Amino acid sequence: MDKTYKSKRVVLWLGLVLIAALTILSIYGAFVGAARARSFFNSVPLILYWFVFLIVLVLGIGVFPRLVRTPSLLLIHAGCVVVLVGSMWASHRGHAIRNELLGTDKIPQGSMQIYEGGSEKHVVLDGTGEIKELPFSIRLKDFGIEYYQPGYLIVQSRNGKTWRIPAKVGTRLQLAPDLMTVEIVRKFENFKITLEQGKHQVIDQPGGGSNPALEIRVDHSSGSAATRYVFERFAGHPHPGDEFQFIYQRMAREYTSRVEVLRDGRVVAQKNIEVNHPLHYAGYHFYQNSYGSEAGWYTVLGVVSDRGLYIVYAGYAMLCVGVFWLLWFRELLSAKHRVTNR
Amino acid sequence: MEIKYTTQGLLIYVAMAAYLAAFVMTLARLRKAGRHLYFSAFILACVALGYRGYVVRHVPMQNLFEVFLCMGALVYPISIFCRRVLRVSGVTADMLIGAIVLFPAGFAFSDQPQHLPPALQCWLFTPHVAVYVLAYVFMAKAAYQGLCQLADIKPRQNMLEPEQATYRMIRAGFPLLTLGLILGSIWGKIAWGDYWGWDPKESFSLASWLVYVGYFHFRYMFGKKHARLNSIWALLGLAVIIVTLFWVNLSQLFAGLHSYAT
Repeated sequence: MDKTYKSKRVVLWLGLVLIAALTILSIYGAFVGAARARSFFNSVPLILYWFVFLIVLVLGIGVFPRLVRTPSLLLIHAGCVVVLVGSMWASHRGHAIRNELLGTDKIPQGSMQIYEGGSEKHVVLDGTGEIKELPFSIRLKDFGIEYYQPGYLIVQSRNGKTWRIPAKVGTRLQLAPDLMTVEIVRKFENFKITLEQGKHQVIDQPGGGSNPALEIRVDHSSGSAATRYVFERFAGHPHPGDEFQFIYQRMAREYTSRVEVLRDGRVVAQKNIEVNHPLHYAGYHFYQNSYGSEAGWYTVLGVVSDRGLYIVYAGYAMLCVGVFWLLWFRELLSAKHRVTNR
Repeated sequence: MEIKYTTQGLLIYVAMAAYLAAFVMTLARLRKAGRHLYFSAFILACVALGYRGYVVRHVPMQNLFEVFLCMGALVYPISIFCRRVLRVSGVTADMLIGAIVLFPAGFAFSDQPQHLPPALQCWLFTPHVAVYVLAYVFMAKAAYQGLCQLADIKPRQNMLEPEQATYRMIRAGFPLLTLGLILGSIWGKIAWGDYWGWDPKESFSLASWLVYVGYFHFRYMFGKKHARLNSIWALLGLAVIIVTLFWVNLSQLFAGLHSYAT
């Protein structure tokens, strides 16, 4: 057995063992959840694993001349190398090392909370909670949520039966011939109770907050009637004596943060940040992550560095082109392989 | 398990019945009738899918109900493509597979229309899901060929031996599996800021991709020397795919970013 053949076998076996190990580790990662899996795959033993994987891939390209001679195979294996290198470059540790060596201060990943009309340049780092400053600030002009219309009133009986009633004023539904009738009487965007002349009054107060609710009238088959308020944010407990639970459900179509990027007091960029439409500016991506309306509307933007991203994408492109070239165009659809089988 | 007394349900049940009737006819050697029924089942599955799209007003690939409906419509064209172009047999089994993949849509999952959440309103939604659905059908056919190899079932004349057919099916499905993984990763970056977040669904998708990577390397090392192990590898791949598709979404064990896909 010559030496080259032996080294090829060793590299192949090593590759197979590493692939099997990563398969098992991925399944383990799925069981522990994303947060723990992320820290597991970035732990020191796993960093060693990634380096060994990288070395075996490079060794494979070195000892198998076919991998170099066949462009599709080279693209696949080199693509994996590029993805691994790009991921290492983009990782939190990669950022830390480069910041240390090059004296830069790039934020790997964090979030920022901005109130409507306000601007912010501080980012809370994920994991550590450390606060860092961007070289520019983001101003939130306004934040809005667009909902699918009309929303639904969900009625659940104690035995698990469910009815969905479109939340349109005037809609009536008798749940069953011997059961009650439910009618949507009023819709509120911002439900409030005021005290006027010693009387409690329910009002829909425009602006300055959000408390979506429905007023419903329940006519029981016995002839009695009652008014109930159902809140979107505070899924109600059944009223004492009620046999049904009411839930007001609306589904968001879009969350939009209208922002401006300010540098030295000047607006240098504008964008409506939505889910799937992040802002890309100065090496960072800004994502619509969350929102809130306590003490006024605010948005929470995810801030992610774009370092290493295009290296990873280049690796993806190489891998994808290589796989299709090799398995579809070179082998599967070639005339040669239709008549002969290996 | 629920029976759907709706137009959607009726279309699914009729398509299932047509797939099953095609299967029975072919087994009974009434091949011509079987072929006609198979084609009818495909048309009915397409109508069921189109009707779903009309009702929900988006490409019907949002949840498992729609994904299985989609698979039901894809079985026929893939089956014909495999037989005519790739010389992989198994058309009779595909008729049964057509009924099997429609079963969850017909009885297990709710057909309640759902709005698209903001995260799914992306141009990558359709290609990402579509290539995965295609890949899964190819891999299911690969596993079936693996079973044939293990059970020593001979193919019809001019068709590939089961071991070679398994290999060919995996070669057809693997690029799609790779593309699905990559498109999902790019979408994850656009929507959530991470091209890889170790979400349970991502982890299992990676595991299923790696099983086939392992298959290729193993087959490269040993060729057809361990044909039974090659077939077992293909079956293992399908098992991991089934977990990725079903269990990760349905089990409480795996709370993650893909929970809307149930």
